[in-house]
Order: sequence, then C-alpha cells, then structure tokens
Amino acid sequence: MTRVKRGYIARRRRKNSLTRNITQQKIRALVSAHRDRDRQKSDFRRLWITRINAVIPEKEVYYNYSKFIHDLYKRHLLLNHKILAQIAILNRNYIYMIYNEIIKNEDSKEYLEMI
Amino acid sequence: MACRRYFFTLTRHYSSLRASKSQSFHPLKSLTSHIPFLQRLPHTLSPTFDSPSFLFRNFSSRTKNPKNPKIIDDEYDDHDDNVEDDDEDEDDEEDDEEDYSSEEEVAVSNEPSKFSDRSYFAEDKIQEAADIGYKVIEPLQRSDRVFKPYEPAFAVVQVGSHQFKVSNGDCIYVEKLKYCEVNDKLILNKVLMAGSPTQTMIGRPILPDVAVNAVVEEHALDAKVIIFKKKRRKNYRRTKGHRQELTRLRITDIQGIEKPETPLAVKPAKTSAKKAEKVAVAA
Repeated sequence: MTRVKRGYIARRRRKNSLTRNITQQKIRALVSAHRDRDRQKSDFRRLWITRINAVIPEKEVYYNYSKFIHDLYKRHLLLNHKILAQIAILNRNYIYMIYNEIIKNEDSKEYLEMI
Repeated sequence: MACRRYFFTLTRHYSSLRASKSQSFHPLKSLTSHIPFLQRLPHTLSPTFDSPSFLFRNFSSRTKNPKNPKIIDDEYDDHDDNVEDDDEDEDDEEDDEEDYSSEEEVAVSNEPSKFSDRSYFAEDKIQEAADIGYKVIEPLQRSDRVFKPYEPAFAVVQVGSHQFKVSNGDCIYVEKLKYCEVNDKLILNKVLMAGSPTQTMIGRPILPDVAVNAVVEEHALDAKVIIFKKKRRKNYRRTKGHRQELTRLRITDIQGIEKPETPLAVKPAKTSAKKAEKVAVAA
C-alpha cells in the first residue's frame, strides 16, 4: 500500500529533498563519532602546534615552532604539545623562560665549539 | 625524523635508567646469551617501545629466588654480586621456565610470568608498577587535614603517558592505577616542570626534588562510547560499547617549590589593629 495519498510524495519532492530517516541519521551519527574520535587526536595536535607557533616568534626573529621543538629535544625536555600550548596561553612568561633556558645553553655550546 | 628517533631513544634510556641502574643491562645480556631458548620471548619484544617495562618484568621473573626478593635493593649492590645471584637463579629456574615457554610460546609472553609472580612478590610488583606509572603509594590515613586552600603554584606531572598541568586542589582523571585503593595518598614523582610567581623550575627531563601529593578519590568507569563499524552496501555492521576505567585523583600539595607567602587577606586587618594600638599608645 504505497502512495495512498499522492500529495505526500509530491510534497516531499518539492519541499525537503535532503531528508534521511531517523535510523539512517543515527547510523551516520555513530559512524561519524567513531571516525572523528580518531581524528580528534590529530585535530588537537594541529591546534596545539598552531598555538605554539603563534607565541614563539615574539622573542626573536627567524625563530618558529620547528626550531623550538628541535631545541626542546636537544635540551632533553619532555614536555608535550598539549602542555606547551596550555602554558603558551595561560602562563605566557613560562614559555619565554623555557626559551631562555634553551637559548642560553646553546650559546655556551657554540662558544665551546668555537674555542 | 632524526629528532623524533633521538627523543624516543632518550625517553627509553631515561626510563630504563630511572627504573634500574645502567648496570642492569649487562647481567641481562649475559643471561640472554647464556640461555637463548629461555629468553627468546621478551628479547624479540624488546625492540618495541615498551622495552624498559619488559626488561623490568623480565628481571622480576629472574629473581624468583627468595634470597633476593627485592630487585631495587640488589641494584645498590655491586655489579658482581648481581651477576652471581642471577646465575644461581638460572640453574634453579631452568626447569620451571622451560615448561612455561614450551607451552605458551609466542602470544602471551610476559603475562603468564606476571600472574605467576604476583602471588610471590607482591611488594616487588607493586614497586615496579608504581615506577611505570610514576606514583608511590603511602598508607591511607584518616583525620588528616590534607586539603589546603589554593596556592598559585603549578606543576606539570606525567602519569603513564599523559601529562597534566596541575595545581593545588585540582582533580584529574587518569588511566586506572592498579594497586591503589580509594582514599590512598599518592606521590607523583615524575614532574617535568614547576612554576610559581616567585620561582620557575624546568626539568631536564624531570625535576628530582619536586613531588606532587595526591589522594585517590574514586575508581570509576568513563561514559560509554559506542564503537560502530559499517561497510556500506556490504551488509556489514558491528556495534560495541566501551567504558574506559579511570581513576580520579585530587591534587593536594606540591612540594619542592617556593610558594609566595600571601598574607594579603590578613595584612589589612593586622595593620589596622597595629594602627589602633599605636593610636592608643600615642594617646
């Protein structure tokens, strides 16, 4: 018994063509949630990197995220991106202190190499 | 990429150093060369990133001998003593371990040894697991005024593989900690950075003197997450629910960093009292 009322199908065709059933909506929602839970991890990492990259070059020209992370690894610091981004926003001066620590030792090392 | 590899080896080296002195590598290597059949399983797994923890468990199975119950005490002895004791253990345990490895070869490598050891040396296991998760348990106590008002100092603490920026009175959710009950006091000793208005300390990689006290509030399950897999047009659909087990910790204190004394709220009252006294004296 399909199409008892002819207008029902016609109305659907006219008005809301982008409809899905509720079951379909639920399925798509679950699939998106599952997929995005994995993407969430990379999304947040991108966000943190962007935030760190925004804060770092304020102290010195030609200094950016990539150099900062390289120096972090060289100086044996294990802080991860989430914490760095949080510190960059909430306690701005601590990032500068970290940066000073890193730079200080690098200068001394260069001196030693030169000598 | 070289940096990431370097970082990786750094963390591995660091955690192995922290867990056991560097000398412990040598007795292990001598053991593995001596009986390759026995030590095949963890040895193949050691290249993966869990190598320090596997080495640790390996050690515990080695020292099943009640002569040397505690691994951590052994490391403070001389290198020679360690090697001798382990050789003795080898001879005792050869038969036992051969049976084990012949039965369950590849798949469940460290787990049977862990379960078998748990009953023998619970103290050892607790200490090992605590080191892996970077916490130390203190006995729980009642009627302890542990909760202080907020202090403006923070510390960056690592528990397992997660890092948290933590200050007094905070509440953090952490992967379930074994060997911990509710109302237990913990010390989180892997502190990467600590800061306060007066002092900042940055650890390379950790700060050895700073300790963060926490109290276990509850062991709870996370909200349910539905894992839904679907392949379209192939008639394949799977639903599964998952609740992660978490532990809630409340941070009570950060020790080892200077906190500024903030008698701001108290000062006006004191000064006004002094002024009143002075006036009285003058008059």
